[in-house]
Amino acid sequence: MSEASRLDEMVEFAENPEPRCPCVLLLDTSSSMRGTPIAALNGGLRAFRDDLMQDALALQRIEVAVVTFDSNVQLIQDFVTVDQFDPPILTAQGYTHMGAAIHQALDMVQARKEQYRTNGVAYYRPWVFMMTDGEPQDEPNDVVEQAAQRLKADEAQKRVAFFAVGVEKANMARLATLSERTPIKLKGLNFVDMFVWLSASMQAVAQSQPDDQLALPPPEWGTV
Amino acid sequence: MSVSRWHVAAASVRGTSHEKTGQACQDAHDWRILPDDGLVVAVADGAGSATLGQIGAVLASWTAATTICARFSSSPWPRGDTEWGACLTAAVEVAQAAVGAEATARQVMRRHLATTLILAVATAEQVAVMQIGDGAVVVRDGEGNLVSLTAPLSGEYANETTFLIAPDALATAQVRVWHGQPTSLAAFTDGLQRLALTMPAGTPYAPFFAPLFRFVAAETHAREAHEQIEAFLRSGRVTDRTDDDLTLVLATVVS
Repeated sequence: MSEASRLDEMVEFAENPEPRCPCVLLLDTSSSMRGTPIAALNGGLRAFRDDLMQDALALQRIEVAVVTFDSNVQLIQDFVTVDQFDPPILTAQGYTHMGAAIHQALDMVQARKEQYRTNGVAYYRPWVFMMTDGEPQDEPNDVVEQAAQRLKADEAQKRVAFFAVGVEKANMARLATLSERTPIKLKGLNFVDMFVWLSASMQAVAQSQPDDQLALPPPEWGTV
Repeated sequence: MSVSRWHVAAASVRGTSHEKTGQACQDAHDWRILPDDGLVVAVADGAGSATLGQIGAVLASWTAATTICARFSSSPWPRGDTEWGACLTAAVEVAQAAVGAEATARQVMRRHLATTLILAVATAEQVAVMQIGDGAVVVRDGEGNLVSLTAPLSGEYANETTFLIAPDALATAQVRVWHGQPTSLAAFTDGLQRLALTMPAGTPYAPFFAPLFRFVAAETHAREAHEQIEAFLRSGRVTDRTDDDLTLVLATVVS
């Protein structure tokens, strides 16, 4: 070892906030999710957190928010870093106000970006993952249509990356009309794997590769 | 031939994210001593989404440095900022054409060789820089002041920047001719920018550069110096803060 000794011991680093990667988990908690589906969803949220906790950069960059939708749209968890994320225990009841939920998620993403800009914090393209077993229910058609149009425009402008994930027996054709990307279907109720995959994808984004089209690792568990 | 006053140490290393995915390092660099004890440094970062980003980066940095070298092997330094700008533009255009030709030869779209490019030429009296994309060049003057000659530019998103193959790359490039006596110079790709600069202003963080410039001044063996820089870039302290490919070129004048 030369006299210069170890550079990594001598060089100091500037303190800068890490760029943030906001992720909204938009979760269907309508009555059709009762029983096994909602239990698996709850387990998956914990797996999501546990997996991300393993990655030093994910911990610094990812911010998770959880919004549930049934007859109401509820903000369960506003954006927090993964180490602050306490996975909620969700229950299933009521109808499926999906249009309103999509609007809320897009509103949140937009507001979060403005906050970042105001505070001089860099950020990655936000992600929204909508997990549902059904289609909009008990919601006026124009609300849903408006949400779909807004989503389409946002995707075209690369304002957000939105993924619709349909669980067992979901109406995939209906979901396809809402989401720009082909909706992904879960085989069975493989939520743990799904959330682990989601967190791996999140790590891919946090790994900051400039990208024209967001590439994700192919999900082994779901059909596209 | 007299020995150059410049001590130079440089390395490009693969980041931990590419280690995980098995991708090659997409960063590249090149530097040459020029007549009249000038120095040319070229640094390039291949786009993560570009399948041949590594090729693009190597080709761009090598071509830019080689073109500058050829230009000044028999010509005097440019007179005035406009001539400097034209000189750098010409070299970057050659690099751009080379990347385009490579894409054609491989029958792929240009974006597969997308890369950033920083080109800096230092003489005893100025440092001229052209930058397309992110990363930055920092210079230390005769009084020990550190100056960022360029700013790491990104799009709305942290992982978006401009690439050499973009139609408007030259039109939107940063060009700066700094007048002064450079005693040290550093060029780096975006993986290090949050460690080396205070953002968002992009001002050089002195405790980052001081030990590195001292090291380069003291180190007389090129291979040792290279190995130490590599080891530094691979160290846990660095990889805890960035998983990106890393390039650092350091040059210090030693009298």
